[in-house]
Amino acid sequence: MNRPPAARAAGLVKTYGRGDAAVHALDGVSLEVPAAAFTAIMGPSGSGKSTLMHLLAGLDTATSGQAFLGDTDLGACGDRELTAIRRDRIGFVFQSFNLLPQLTAAQNIDLPAQLAGRRVDPAWRESLVGLLDLTDRLGHRPTQLSGGQQQRVALARALLGRPEIVFADEPTGNLDSAAGHEVLALLQRSVRELGGTVVVVTHDPVAASYADGVLLLRDGRLAGTLVAPRPDTVLAALAELSGAVAR
Amino acid sequence: MSELASEPSTQREPVLRGVGLTHRYGVTTVLHDAEIAVHPGEVVAVTGPSGSGKSTLLHCLAGILVPSEGEVWLGPDRIDGWSESRRAALRGSRLGFVFQFGQLLPELPAVENVALPLMLGGMRRVEAVERAAAWFAPLGLAGLEQRRPGQLSGGQEQRVAIGRALVTEPEVVFADEPTGAVDTDTGHRVMELLTALVGRTGAGLVVVTHDAEVAARCHRTVSLRDGRTAESARPAGART
Amino acid sequence: MVGLSLRLLRLGGRRSWAAAGLVGAGVAVGTMLLAVALGALHGWDARESRTAWRAGDYYSGPQKVLPADVVASVRVTADRVGGLPLQVVDLVDPRAGLAPPPGLDRTPAPGQVWVSPALATLLRQLPADELADRFPGAPTGVISDAGLRDPGELVAVVGRAGPLAGASPITVFGPVPGFSTIEIYRQLTYVAVALMIFPVLSLLGASARLTAARRTERLATLRLLGASTGQVTVAAVTEVTAVAGVAAVVGVVGQWLLAPALAAVELGGSGWYADDLRPSVPVMIGIVVGVGLLATAAAVGGMRQVVVGPLGVVRRQRPGSARLVRLLVVVAGVVVFAVANTARQNAAANITGLVFGIGILALFGTVSVVGPLVVRLIGNGLVRSARSPAKLLAGRRLLDDPRAAFRPLAGLTLAVFVAGFLAPLTSAVAGAGGADDTALRMRTGDPASVAAAARARLDQLGIGAQVTAGRRSVDVVTGTSVDRDRVRTALSPLVNGTAVLTEQEGNGENTLLAADLTRGAVVVLVATFLVAATSAGTSAAARVLDQRRTLRLLRLAGTPLRVLDAARRAETIRPLLVNGAIALVLGVLCASPFAAASGVLEPSALILLGGVLVTGVLLVLGASAASRPLLRSVTTDTQTSGDS
Repeated sequence: MNRPPAARAAGLVKTYGRGDAAVHALDGVSLEVPAAAFTAIMGPSGSGKSTLMHLLAGLDTATSGQAFLGDTDLGACGDRELTAIRRDRIGFVFQSFNLLPQLTAAQNIDLPAQLAGRRVDPAWRESLVGLLDLTDRLGHRPTQLSGGQQQRVALARALLGRPEIVFADEPTGNLDSAAGHEVLALLQRSVRELGGTVVVVTHDPVAASYADGVLLLRDGRLAGTLVAPRPDTVLAALAELSGAVAR
Repeated sequence: MSELASEPSTQREPVLRGVGLTHRYGVTTVLHDAEIAVHPGEVVAVTGPSGSGKSTLLHCLAGILVPSEGEVWLGPDRIDGWSESRRAALRGSRLGFVFQFGQLLPELPAVENVALPLMLGGMRRVEAVERAAAWFAPLGLAGLEQRRPGQLSGGQEQRVAIGRALVTEPEVVFADEPTGAVDTDTGHRVMELLTALVGRTGAGLVVVTHDAEVAARCHRTVSLRDGRTAESARPAGART
Repeated sequence: MVGLSLRLLRLGGRRSWAAAGLVGAGVAVGTMLLAVALGALHGWDARESRTAWRAGDYYSGPQKVLPADVVASVRVTADRVGGLPLQVVDLVDPRAGLAPPPGLDRTPAPGQVWVSPALATLLRQLPADELADRFPGAPTGVISDAGLRDPGELVAVVGRAGPLAGASPITVFGPVPGFSTIEIYRQLTYVAVALMIFPVLSLLGASARLTAARRTERLATLRLLGASTGQVTVAAVTEVTAVAGVAAVVGVVGQWLLAPALAAVELGGSGWYADDLRPSVPVMIGIVVGVGLLATAAAVGGMRQVVVGPLGVVRRQRPGSARLVRLLVVVAGVVVFAVANTARQNAAANITGLVFGIGILALFGTVSVVGPLVVRLIGNGLVRSARSPAKLLAGRRLLDDPRAAFRPLAGLTLAVFVAGFLAPLTSAVAGAGGADDTALRMRTGDPASVAAAARARLDQLGIGAQVTAGRRSVDVVTGTSVDRDRVRTALSPLVNGTAVLTEQEGNGENTLLAADLTRGAVVVLVATFLVAATSAGTSAAARVLDQRRTLRLLRLAGTPLRVLDAARRAETIRPLLVNGAIALVLGVLCASPFAAASGVLEPSALILLGGVLVTGVLLVLGASAASRPLLRSVTTDTQTSGDS
């Protein structure tokens, strides 16, 4: 892995509130997200993993420190530039799917391209839809789809613009284990076969075991890393983290 | 991580019983001869894929819907024949509800949201608010009494909702996807709190969920498929 | 983006349509009333362009009429026939080679008579000695619509050779700037429009903000997918703009269709041609565009608080509460009104209405600004004293966002203000009238000989009458069985063709103005109440839609519908009563330059006010009741997870 990192955090601090009520969600995190790899961010509740993802994806701004996407310092970007970056360089997958119920699956998939005024590459779209096994579902509304199918639509939507990086926040949180497995396997394939970069925030050791590497957070700091994780090694690492927290 | 200290006694009479529940919408039968019994202090998960009839079962048990066939017993009372207004009064007093989200009145401070069912039951406001406030410490919400729902996190909102469901000391609490709108860690903590507090009051708890992990934290699981119930004991691999 | 937003609206399903319907209903009613107001102004212009020449330049103020400019002289006689006013216009020595007056196909020669169609009919129906004998001959021609005030007007244009006593020179067969009866009506109409415009605008603004909560979730998703702030704003606003645009067209068309009914409202002595009350096409387009822009602006304003970050709808900040600073606005409003009222007395005649309108707008603004403060104070009181859950809920709601809580009440509060303004006026004019209606009076410089001639003429016709000569007039009292028109027709030649009327009949214009003021007041009140009803009804329904999830879950958890209803009533009626009282006082203040404030205590005013208050409360209850089925349908929908 000689490529430069896809995303990087340098001394990231995020504080909510001020004075006595101040909460340090991130307390000086420095880390790198390797390109063309599947990375999981894990940690106990309140460890700051969602906040870290929000900052790396330009959804929120840091109190101090820097967040880079490729070479771009997100802290130096204005709202307009951040919007453009999210639109053109990042794909998002969320726990709650975030599909528009009024639109068909196909229309939902095309929406970001439409917002950006981009042309859709039909061949790429077709291969994505095939890969995600959505060919028969394109005309359906989200309410006519199962949770797993909805998440696959969201995945197609995220991948259609060939983003540099896909951020997935608890992508399997609303799915049963079979559908969750399917979505994670697809994320894995998008890295292996399409050469993309995927960052998944999850609390689930099984989900994390699909990743190439795990970044462990605790109390707003990087607390460890795992390479080639398996469910048992992740569980053990988490237990160690929690053990360190519990008294 | 577990809080279900002891298995509840199943020797006692169930506090809630659904017998042969069948429900049809038009020609579609969504519930087919479903059976369920919940004992005092017991936590029962109702699981199943979407469309399996989970919500319909809950609505029949809670007197929101009248089943096409079958009986619903709350303690010694058969409630499925009661009038809508009588069932509504029942829901306000002897049953408690926690929904996925959006159940709190945004204008009321947290403590008044919790006190609302008591006031609806005719309790004086001062007393109702006092009683509601007493729940805030066990809910882990001490100091947040005067916050509006909009000023609380999703997990805190759910805990206020739990307080509101329990403040009337109901016989049965229904939780419909109580963790569906919060992140998974928060969801686990919401479930812990719910089971612990319900266990303390001795009420029965029915949790409708699609989340196997949530179900794993319950004493028993009733799974639904195509409107039919199948019971499993505590799932294997559940943490104790 | 626009296409996408419209598709979302189209595919949004029943709830989406219901929400759009509420916005549309408010905007359509508001637009229609706006068109009615502008149509009324158009009506006076149209009427003036056809009939103003008959009044003569003699009204036209101080500037001298140069003999070279004179095209004719006219003498207008306000006569009566069959209990109706009849206008006889003597056209004296019209200059040759001139285009004829409006509605006449040529200029009448001396002795020729042009009559309106209605008068022509009457001439055929009545015996000659009751009507036809008043004219020098049979009708030469019929006046077309282009020269008439309204389709039923009774008017005759009689050609005369001069000189004719009482005739005054005119310079054009059309309107001239200056003071005229129509000008008075126009100024009063400006005042009426000023009274209506605020409630209408507030209705338009409030409508555009309805159901904004419904759209926010979708907007957050768009933001997340990389829609720029501009795109999100466009998405947020397109729907409102589209709905408002369609509704505005509906409103304008509605007014166009309604015009024949409006034309039946008599003002200035008659009804109208329906076309007179229809604004011109450019004005209609202007209304539609203006309403569309206004709705868009209001929607953007409403959206500002909700569209923020891509992480979803930012949790509601503490809504700006209504602070006591607003009391200063009361002072400012009263000062502006006082200044405007002083300025009015020195202003040129044709802008007094406008100046006064500004004063009224100032007080209107005061009412709207103070309203939310009052709401907040009431909310405070309710929360402190509430025992029942309904009262507590109501109080909390009022306190939570006083401005939003006041919005549906604004229309009704302003309606009460209008009623307060009009009540003393109507009672003041009701005091006019009551002049003598028994003696027909002939005005003359030679009472003795005219009285003798009148006796001889009446004896000849076999009409028994008591004829008394006064100082400058002769009074004729006949038995009640005698036809007055016969007497008039017989006697009018004795006074050189001028009208023979009782004191009350001669007072026609003043009585008319009084009656018109009352009629106008009723029209304005109906309009403002229409606004009030619409805004109360649509906001109540929109609130149910916006909060449907919470309401439904509360119902499922056993909260009785009646508690929710009682809360809705409590949060409406108290603020309405207090705000109504304040609006009433300010309204009476507004009327004080024209009538004693004690006029409010006159029976007619009390009836008006009582009617207003009763109607107002009934309206609120009705509006609340109207959304009850919606509340029921929304809350009995048993779906508990997800959202529509």
